[in-house]
Amino acid sequence: MVFLNPFPRLRRLAARGGFIAPFTIVWVLGVLVPVLGVVVFSFFDSRGVKFIFEPTLYAYESTFSHAGWQVLLRSVRITATVTVIELIVAYPFALWLAKSARSPLLKLVTFAALTVPFFLSPASRTIVWRVILGKNGLINTILLELSIISEPLDWLLFSEPAVHFGFFGPYFPNMVWPLFLSITLIDDEIIEASRDLGGGRFHTFWHVILPLSLPGIVAGVIFTFVPMMGDTVVPQTVGGGAVLMLSSEINSLFSVLNYPVAAAVSALALILVAVFQLLMVLVLRRTGGIAHVFEGLRR
Amino acid sequence: MTALSTPGTIRSRRGIMFVDRMMRAARPFGVAIGYLWVTLIYIPIVWLAVMSVSSRPLTGVPYPLSLEWYDSLFSGDLRWLPPLERSLILGIIVSVLCMIAATMVGRVLPQLRRRGGLLAAFLAPLFVPALVTGVSMFMFYRALIGLKLGDWSLILAHFVWAFPFALLAMLVVSSRFDIRMSEAASDLGATNWQRFWQIEVPLLRPGIIASGFFGFLLSFNELPLSIYMRAGQMTLPLHLWAESTAHQSSIPLIYGMSTLVTFVSIIIVVVALRLLFFRKEQQ
Repeated sequence: MVFLNPFPRLRRLAARGGFIAPFTIVWVLGVLVPVLGVVVFSFFDSRGVKFIFEPTLYAYESTFSHAGWQVLLRSVRITATVTVIELIVAYPFALWLAKSARSPLLKLVTFAALTVPFFLSPASRTIVWRVILGKNGLINTILLELSIISEPLDWLLFSEPAVHFGFFGPYFPNMVWPLFLSITLIDDEIIEASRDLGGGRFHTFWHVILPLSLPGIVAGVIFTFVPMMGDTVVPQTVGGGAVLMLSSEINSLFSVLNYPVAAAVSALALILVAVFQLLMVLVLRRTGGIAHVFEGLRR
Repeated sequence: MTALSTPGTIRSRRGIMFVDRMMRAARPFGVAIGYLWVTLIYIPIVWLAVMSVSSRPLTGVPYPLSLEWYDSLFSGDLRWLPPLERSLILGIIVSVLCMIAATMVGRVLPQLRRRGGLLAAFLAPLFVPALVTGVSMFMFYRALIGLKLGDWSLILAHFVWAFPFALLAMLVVSSRFDIRMSEAASDLGATNWQRFWQIEVPLLRPGIIASGFFGFLLSFNELPLSIYMRAGQMTLPLHLWAESTAHQSSIPLIYGMSTLVTFVSIIIVVVALRLLFFRKEQQ
């Protein structure tokens, strides 16, 4: 056994920490550094696939003088709107699911229904909206048959309302789960205490449940807003060429090999998302931090 | 009772009662709208399956029914076979990597004192839009280091995407893990390896298997990172995406194939979830 174990210190380290240290180093250098690196790349020009390492603001000038800036603004506007709508829809639902739903079967089915979509291909299930909402699609066919409309509605697809609508389903679980986990963590006794002391429904909600579920609200908003900003599928499938969002912009920049501007747009999106999350976390400081939500996993 | 209302809230008792009654009345609507949103997730999935047996899927109308698309999927153009094969192989590799990495990290993380920062570092891809991750990694590996992208970069991208989920699945199990079990094993004279293999692995098994399943599925269905981290190779989602955004869509492929993939995926997720969460209820 001795020759199998020439480094007793290494072995003790392995027993205590396993290989977490080398893995962490590889993860930071191979993943986190590249992701942050895009901010650096955005200050260089490129020739072909190679960057020329002389600092320049060319990429940002180009972003702000062309459509890039507007596309970024539009992405933020649509994403923020949908996030707010998701929060309004998800909160009562999560509250009910965590505190009032009684049937275990219904809860189980609902949990499964909210988990399965994370692991399905987004492309194949989004493309179907085209034949449902399209000009010759299902909805228009039904409405025409019933003589409710005389001409097909053309805003059902390839329009901003359609993009909002397309986001509703896919990002609902992202909002419900953190809310649900944080509301579950609120002790029933605290809620009962509030009721016993004469607090009505609104009172209990406003002064007890809402503040205690703030970490869930923050996590839900982050987990909905952030991935939606980078969504490739919904804007291009449901929005088509009519609603250009971040993904279409970056795709077209890539197709003409304009890497510096693609880097600048990505860097702006990254910084925007990072600042947004930082603000959210600062709001949370008093109430216990995001890690609190993950405590819910332990139950 | 009015003495209880703190400053800044509705003072009048009648007002409070009105709001309370409104909230009570609104609850069923809240629940109904929540389930409406859940159905918004599943309408396209169900309609995908319905359209796959419709003879005119592009009209969105189910009738007349036909199985011709499945027929031509398997007898006609077989261009989907190589991408399927690649996706399966990548999925299996990523799945194994996820199982190993999630076990290594997940078994230690709950015992560390300063785990917040580490957890944040490993979950970081969840806090960055996938598109930005893809673009950044492309620029780093292709433009800065000058590596030729290939299957390795697809594996890397899929792993980056899948690992946070695999780790979370592992943490569901490992944060309930009783450290005294493995301490007892050491006290009874087990070597580190025995302790790991005979005590920890069996106890962590549901987490290991679930992280493997999740790793496979997330890799198999991954699209946004694959778009940037490839060198001409086609995975199945890339192939489906290219076909479905093209103007003349390949119907058997999109509807037939997607339906099959979606339903196999659903079965795998349900099995993984059962593994993760059903034990807990038995205990």
